[in-house]
Amino acid sequence: MNALLLESAPAFLDAAPAEDVLIRARADVAGNGSFGEQWVVVDQTNVRVFVGGAHGTVQRVPIAELIACRSESSVGGGAIVLERAGEAPIRIRYSQSEAAKFSEVVRGIEQLREGKAFHINGHVQRNRCSTCRRLLPEKDGICPACIHKAATLARLAVRLWPYRLRTMAVAVASLFVTAAALAPPLVTAMIVDDVLVPADGPPPMEERLGLLALLVAGLVGIRVASWAGEWVHGWNATWLGARVTADIRAELYHRLEMLSLPFYDKHPVGSLIARATRDVQMLQGFLIDGVPYLVTNLLTLVGILALMVGMSLHLSLYVLLPVPLILLWGAFYWSRLRMLFTRLMQSWGRLTDRTVETLTGIRVVKAFAQEAREIGSFNVANGGIRAAGIRVKLHQGIFFATMALITALGMMLVWGVGGQQVLDGAITLGTLVAFYSYMWMFLGPIQWLGEMNDHMSRAFASAERIFEIIDAPPEGAIEGAVVKRPPIAGHVHLSDVTFGYDKSKPVLKGVDLELRPGEMVGIVGRSGVGKTTIVNLIARFYDPDQGSVEIDGIDAREMDPGHLRSHIGMVLQEPLLFSGTIVDNIGYGKPGATLAEIMDAARAANAHNFIMAKPDGYETPVGEKGTGLSGGERQRISIARAILRDPRILIFDEATASVDVETERHIQVALERLMQGRTTIAIAHRLSTLRDASRIVVIEDGRISEQGSHAELMEKRGTFHELVQMQQATSEIIAVAD
Amino acid sequence: MTAANEDEANPAVLAANAEPSSLRVFRAPPWQTRLTVDGVLSFLVARPVRAAPLTDPDRYISFLDARNEEICMVNDLAELDDESRQVVEADLAAHYLTATILSIDSARNEFGTSYWDVQTDRGARDFVVQNAAENARWLGPNRLLLLDVDGNRFEIPAIDRLNKRSIGLLRRVL
Repeated sequence: MNALLLESAPAFLDAAPAEDVLIRARADVAGNGSFGEQWVVVDQTNVRVFVGGAHGTVQRVPIAELIACRSESSVGGGAIVLERAGEAPIRIRYSQSEAAKFSEVVRGIEQLREGKAFHINGHVQRNRCSTCRRLLPEKDGICPACIHKAATLARLAVRLWPYRLRTMAVAVASLFVTAAALAPPLVTAMIVDDVLVPADGPPPMEERLGLLALLVAGLVGIRVASWAGEWVHGWNATWLGARVTADIRAELYHRLEMLSLPFYDKHPVGSLIARATRDVQMLQGFLIDGVPYLVTNLLTLVGILALMVGMSLHLSLYVLLPVPLILLWGAFYWSRLRMLFTRLMQSWGRLTDRTVETLTGIRVVKAFAQEAREIGSFNVANGGIRAAGIRVKLHQGIFFATMALITALGMMLVWGVGGQQVLDGAITLGTLVAFYSYMWMFLGPIQWLGEMNDHMSRAFASAERIFEIIDAPPEGAIEGAVVKRPPIAGHVHLSDVTFGYDKSKPVLKGVDLELRPGEMVGIVGRSGVGKTTIVNLIARFYDPDQGSVEIDGIDAREMDPGHLRSHIGMVLQEPLLFSGTIVDNIGYGKPGATLAEIMDAARAANAHNFIMAKPDGYETPVGEKGTGLSGGERQRISIARAILRDPRILIFDEATASVDVETERHIQVALERLMQGRTTIAIAHRLSTLRDASRIVVIEDGRISEQGSHAELMEKRGTFHELVQMQQATSEIIAVAD
Repeated sequence: MTAANEDEANPAVLAANAEPSSLRVFRAPPWQTRLTVDGVLSFLVARPVRAAPLTDPDRYISFLDARNEEICMVNDLAELDDESRQVVEADLAAHYLTATILSIDSARNEFGTSYWDVQTDRGARDFVVQNAAENARWLGPNRLLLLDVDGNRFEIPAIDRLNKRSIGLLRRVL
């Protein structure tokens, strides 16, 4: 991440003193409101605004003179407003495209104005490809049109190495199949020239019959060989394609499991799932169906061309005459057809959306007596589909008919020119017949080349997106440091920790916190102040930006995260159970645990009784498909899961926030049993649950504002006291309402 | 004091019920729009916004105060005096940054995403529209609003008044 926001500037900006420039940002609206540009350049002391390009004006505003810098949002754009005392504010307008960038600019100027440390997110996200200006599938993502196909192909090809024998078999089979496809017209030519109409007068009948039998047998042999070749080719190519995609899928999933949480913060889960499913499927389709088709067809095209040129260069040129026409027509019409298809799909989408909406809301429709209107709007949408469908069929008809016409005209040309050459004796009748067959074989695949290129681009873009994840670094210890796996007693020390999920927006600002082994510390504070962030750092889901987290005197960054986490038990607000039985879920963190151990953990978690009351006991299915467990029951199972690991450090993140008071009491009992002898960190919303904590830490705005025992803090009448008062007032209101 | 009296004395209620002829919108200082009612009640910050910006931009203009609460609403801009109307029109023009498309230089569709190169009343611009079903809003059979991927707005007030080439490109893409 860049701390500075510097966009590549035109020459006239460089004429201005460039040292210490912190921000150089382009606004895409000119001073008069039309599209154009203005530049904002910020250094430690001044904001300079360049209006009107190279020959325009520069306005310099000392930051010391500013009384505020804010952004003003309007419909479809916004402006930075630089306010000065007693003077008109300066507005630098921009379109909505630049709103995110300028909110960082405003933040930066405000930091300088207030004399704070300058720290902004200087990375400007792109949503369009910088080369071809196409929309990227994801922000800062890969442009499907601009990837290096050769490089991607090479990476895919490397994956064939473990299966090189099969790959060789496929290659040989491809050549064989191609050769087998090319041979029959040559044999046909021999039948015509040597058997049916021999050029040098007819030889004896028996000789001709013998030759005919031999050639027909040859044709049969070629067909059988071709069948065998295709069998070998098809089987091996499919096997290879499936194997390579399975390898890629395995590698992708392995990497997804090993990636750190910060990676997941940056990539929405939906997009990762799309890569693991849609992109892999797209690639698989291409590797299994596309590549063998492409290879054999290309080989066939090259082979035919060579054979035709060998037989008659003159006639070959005539055969090639319709090729540009076919390619042009294909290029022209495919885009049109695709657009019509898209439109048809959109019409379908609209109809489906509309139907789902009205049928799910049928009670509302009926209540307002609007059935007739809904039927009317359905009919309009239905009419749209009909019209779009007819257009697609119509244009499809035109497309294929025209292709057939061009091909047929090419044939006529071959008959005309070739026939004349036969009459002139330049070529034999057999050659003409062979040419005729080759032309069919030649012009067919050419029609699909354009479509194939399209298919390939999309498959390669999918491959790139998959490789992007495979290439992401997994989480781990600091590079170069020895990964330590020390025994853990549970002494936790955060010293001067500063951390932000977005580096420019610190959530924790210099937190010092020490937990002695066996101590129970409660963390309280309003939502969003950084309570959960503290436990995220202790469990090493993230590493601090400044300062360190030490476990038993060893920097957590030097520890194997898996080892560290095996000594941490976590109970979260929303317990996530996986599909499986209660045994599977409690035993999740300790594979191989015996039923007796699991029952002990469940007893400690106050879960044993309700589990035994179920018909299937510990083998009751839970998770998505399982029978319903209440929120409190799920929570107690997750506590048992944490107990079973016998962790040295326990973390409760709002563990009882989403259950009723009665259940909370059950859970509280379980928790107290669990806490004995372990370092415990409890983030609590209901402050009453922290009465027994040896220490309570209050976090405000990323810093520790108060700490002490429950009684001490109540006496102090600070933030904690205020929070407790507020909660009591609320619960009284609830009590009255009940 | 009765409840009714209380309401009469409440400036918010006074302003909300004011006759349009009693409203005056002006700038003081020159960069700040102010609103006074009957020359008595004065709001230091007044921001005009439209209730129906797309279909009825000159009617139902609301004035918001610094806390974004409505001071009053004018049913029609024409009800204001000339000076006030000019100030309001200038503020509205600055707030609603919709560009009007004058002609289309190029437009193409790729996998449901359309790319546009246009001339607008605010100069040339290229933009991308994704998911046309949602982001190309027909405001009538002849009027179109395009929202690009960043949230910028482009309007074609009357398609039949574009040149032939532009109409052809538009029909092909949408």
